[in-house]
Amino acid sequence: MDFLVNLLPHLINGVSLGLLFALIALGFMLIVGVMETINLAHGSLFALGMYFALFIVAPKLGWFPEAQAWYMQLPIGTRYLFALLLAPLFVGLFGMLLELCMRRTYGRDPLYGLLLTFGAALVIEELIRLVWGSNEKQLPLPEAISGAFLMGDLIYSKYRFFAAGFSVFMIGLLWLFLEKTPYGAIIKAGAHDSEMVRALGINLSRLRLLVFGLGVALAAIAGVVMAPIWGIRPHVGVDAVVPAFLIIVLGGVGSLWGAVVAGLMVGMVVGLTGSYASEWSLMSMYLLFIAVVTFRSRGLFGKKSILDV
Amino acid sequence: MSETKQQNKKATDQKAANETISAKRRALLKGSALAVAAGGLYGAAPFMGPWKHNKLWAQAGQKKPLTIGLTMDASGMYAASGGEERLGAMMAIKEFNDKGGVLGRRIEAIHIDTETTPATGSRVAERMITRNEAAFLIGAVHSGVANAISQVAQKNGTIFFNTNSSSPTEAGKDCHRVKFVWDGNGTNFAHAIVRNAMKVNGKNWVLLTNDYVWGHSTSKATRALVEANGGKIVEELLVPQNTRDFSSYLLKLQQLKPNAVATAIGGDDIKALRQQVVQLKMNNSTAWINNQQDWPDVYGLGPEQIFGVFGTTWYYRLDLPGVKEFVAAYQKQYPGMAIRVPGNVYHNAYMATRELLRCVEEVGSTNNIAIIKKLEGRKMAARDRLQHYDAWMDPATHQVQQTIYMASYNDKPAEKDDIFKILAQAEPKDVMDKDAAGACKLETYEATPSYEV
Repeated sequence: MDFLVNLLPHLINGVSLGLLFALIALGFMLIVGVMETINLAHGSLFALGMYFALFIVAPKLGWFPEAQAWYMQLPIGTRYLFALLLAPLFVGLFGMLLELCMRRTYGRDPLYGLLLTFGAALVIEELIRLVWGSNEKQLPLPEAISGAFLMGDLIYSKYRFFAAGFSVFMIGLLWLFLEKTPYGAIIKAGAHDSEMVRALGINLSRLRLLVFGLGVALAAIAGVVMAPIWGIRPHVGVDAVVPAFLIIVLGGVGSLWGAVVAGLMVGMVVGLTGSYASEWSLMSMYLLFIAVVTFRSRGLFGKKSILDV
Repeated sequence: MSETKQQNKKATDQKAANETISAKRRALLKGSALAVAAGGLYGAAPFMGPWKHNKLWAQAGQKKPLTIGLTMDASGMYAASGGEERLGAMMAIKEFNDKGGVLGRRIEAIHIDTETTPATGSRVAERMITRNEAAFLIGAVHSGVANAISQVAQKNGTIFFNTNSSSPTEAGKDCHRVKFVWDGNGTNFAHAIVRNAMKVNGKNWVLLTNDYVWGHSTSKATRALVEANGGKIVEELLVPQNTRDFSSYLLKLQQLKPNAVATAIGGDDIKALRQQVVQLKMNNSTAWINNQQDWPDVYGLGPEQIFGVFGTTWYYRLDLPGVKEFVAAYQKQYPGMAIRVPGNVYHNAYMATRELLRCVEEVGSTNNIAIIKKLEGRKMAARDRLQHYDAWMDPATHQVQQTIYMASYNDKPAEKDDIFKILAQAEPKDVMDKDAAGACKLETYEATPSYEV
């Protein structure tokens, strides 16, 4: 009984961690699913989201001191809300520019796309260093979601619960968009058969532009949400891109629910091993990956390839 | 007649040509035989390891610049510290170059990112020694990287200064004749902190250990001291490198309810841990003993995040002669830096590089064996090193024995960067790693390839 009582907080923690992992993977999933492009700049765009959020919540502008003073008088909750809305918007627009550069790689060897996004990742990271410096930074949080609360005799972080709840909200929103709107239907159709979508008169270039922008905006949202947990530093994106890649392959490329379930599984495994076999906590997600892919090479929710029929 | 003459001349020319060729052949054979004989006399034939020969590179005779290889991380979990130690080494090199270099030769530094990865460290060291003809290698924060570099350095006889990696194994079982360790190690810091922390906080401790050589050896030292003083290690939680989420560890700590948590976590990992500890308000509810806190890992953090007691080897506001000037020189040389004042990492790299170049000058050559002998047992005045007590290079372990400071967050800062409160300083003899000499087996001078560049 004691064991179960001790286990419960770790299970709760595993679920919240899993939801955060799923949030990190959502944008990556969308881009890989629709565009069949592995966006290696996902991590750097995730980091860029953090820095834009920092700029929006606590701007440091030397040119307009009065405007800055006025802005800083706004409640921090309002500024944080602005960050949640505007940082993904800015990074999404930046992502669209990147997609325009990527067009020359479509229909060619996939290595070109990989190389381009890898190069973009390096450029973005160095740009961040140039603009914000390489020091560790922190995102100030509203009082309502910072600090801790007691449940039983254990302390939990308020922010972590907020972040997990927000992840659920984002997953729900993306599901509604993909399943209940005509735009979502077009995106799904584009993922399934882009040539047919083009034949139906839909502008495929514009579709790709929007999907890439949306995927990048989701990476930025994940960055804003993870900033108070992981901290903000230029190379933080590396920590995001590896689990994101693992989760989308584990869940099945292009599957929303696959990414969510895989994220939860990874979170649970990492959380539980962190508590009971701590030295295995990072390795455990790779072991899980090997175990699943060995028996189901297309991932948990991956569509059957034509070669499997 | 003329035909006969011509034939005779042709014959004579042919003979002369043949003689020239055979003379060349003889010279070649003679030269080869001499080379083989010389190799044999010296103790090893060519292409037979281990390498044991004198390298006499072209630089020495022609007063070419003296090349120093900076093996510092510019990426990975110790990128920030790698950047700082690079500045420290460059400052010392600049000071010497401003005076005309060393032995009348200008000093050139080359830097290649070691990526906080041991395999990269090996590769970089090999390249710097064999391709760039680096006379010395300086720099390391990650103990795995330091160990990898030092193996390559020892194979080639190249003097390597481990400036900031503080695993006790570096001057213990992984010591080498060519390697000199300039940072305090985990055992030194544990000696300085543990006993007092046990008196204040209690006897049940949990160890939070980065799962690599520095973490393990540092926690081992802490465990030994806790147990020797009647305490108990309730549990040791191993933290894989590059862990970003500590929530499960922090929940576990709450369940274990120790009197104190001793961490041996470094780089970006400790930054993430600090952030998450503060979110849970565990910075106030638990006693934290952080073995060593490198300046780039805490610089710019808020008051809440610099919690617990920790060790360091230097602080920029030590009330000692020369410290202010040292800080001013840093600010003059590196204006507008994100880290506005130097810390322990910069200090270690600067002091190490300066001492190396002084030794080269004193020896009067770049002969590695002579410089190694000059460094072994070398005394360094407290005033010169800007610390409270005199330091020395332990000849048995090749680690600098130096002042260790205990610090906590400064709740009454005199200025923005004044974030440490120095609680006490320990004399080097009181915090010595007594097991190191037993574990360290330095190679003999004869087994160390000698060189002069």
